[in-house]
Amino acid sequence: MMYKLFNSLSGQEFVIRLSDNAFIPFDSANTDYQEYLKWVEAGNTPEAVS
Amino acid sequence: MSYGSVAADQITSSVQGYSLGAGNSSLKKNLLINGDMRIDQRNAGASVTPSTGTYTLDRWNAYSSAASKFTVQQNAGSVTPPVGFTNYLGCTSSSAYSVGTSDLFVIYQRIEGFNIADLGWGTANAKTVTLSFQVYSSLTGTFGGSLQNGNGNRSYPFTYSIPVANTWTVINLTIAGDTTGTWFTNNSSGLQVTLSIGAGSTYQGTAGAWAANATYSVSGATSVVGTNGATFYITGVQLEVGSSATGFEYRQYQQELALCQRYYEYGTASFPSRSGDNLYYGSMSYKVTKRATPTFAGVSQTVNSNTVDSFACYQAGSASSNSLFTWTSSAEL
Repeated sequence: MMYKLFNSLSGQEFVIRLSDNAFIPFDSANTDYQEYLKWVEAGNTPEAVS
Repeated sequence: MSYGSVAADQITSSVQGYSLGAGNSSLKKNLLINGDMRIDQRNAGASVTPSTGTYTLDRWNAYSSAASKFTVQQNAGSVTPPVGFTNYLGCTSSSAYSVGTSDLFVIYQRIEGFNIADLGWGTANAKTVTLSFQVYSSLTGTFGGSLQNGNGNRSYPFTYSIPVANTWTVINLTIAGDTTGTWFTNNSSGLQVTLSIGAGSTYQGTAGAWAANATYSVSGATSVVGTNGATFYITGVQLEVGSSATGFEYRQYQQELALCQRYYEYGTASFPSRSGDNLYYGSMSYKVTKRATPTFAGVSQTVNSNTVDSFACYQAGSASSNSLFTWTSSAEL
């Protein structure tokens, strides 16, 4: 799994899950975001905001 | 003037073997959603090969610790559902896999904490619940499952028997509520109901007792994934307050769909080209408020904002026609 950070035009922060181009919000109750945090805790780094 | 009172928590219906209104209510009786397996928004009846947490029919998740060991499909095998039902969730084994110590193959549903708050679990007033369902398998024997809290540090493994192959069997299991542990009563996972089709010893516990761990089955339970082509079908799954199983709570289709859409919704949108910046831009409200800010995916779309109630997104373009696209929004547990 790979991720990329993204800031929208409205200023809302997301992380894009590159496998399906899904926009994951920075919401601690979102289970996809929880998975992303585990991925980061495991030592991985998302692609930077482009 | 007094009209007297009726003291009863259960009323026998005109249908033999069925009763109404156990516990304190007859509404929201079934704590599970899509227990009759009618709703399949993601796959519309197509087969799914689960990985480590794949939603199949709405609200029903599947976990497969090893790749391609079973498939899940609404009405797999096209057997006749039990009386009163038109759909079932069907698992089919894809190989004769020997389950390893740390393997796990399960079907489960996580119930949102808000919807189990009345159970009082984790307190001295924990209510007893009854899990009931109908099961049909090409295999016979003892099968396993469990109830578990959201933290995965309290679980209650159980067993049930399928005595006759390829026949719908009614299963009723009464479970005393857990008086200890932490049971979330907010929008996170409050309670997980799991049916196992294969679990290694790491995930096996002692049937009929609460324990401070995460277990999903018991030693000696039948392994469906251990037999190539074996089938395991379920429907009419209900978890209710009380010490006896009552008739399945049939909800109207639109009610059940709306309950599912709190966790997953999809649709199509047609957004116009915006003058000035050549972007197809638009916003849309969700039909149902989501459990949490959802994960959004739309073909070729870039999200501008996303909340529990609505989304806005855009796509580069210069044509004067509209951009038509499909989208999904997931706030699953």
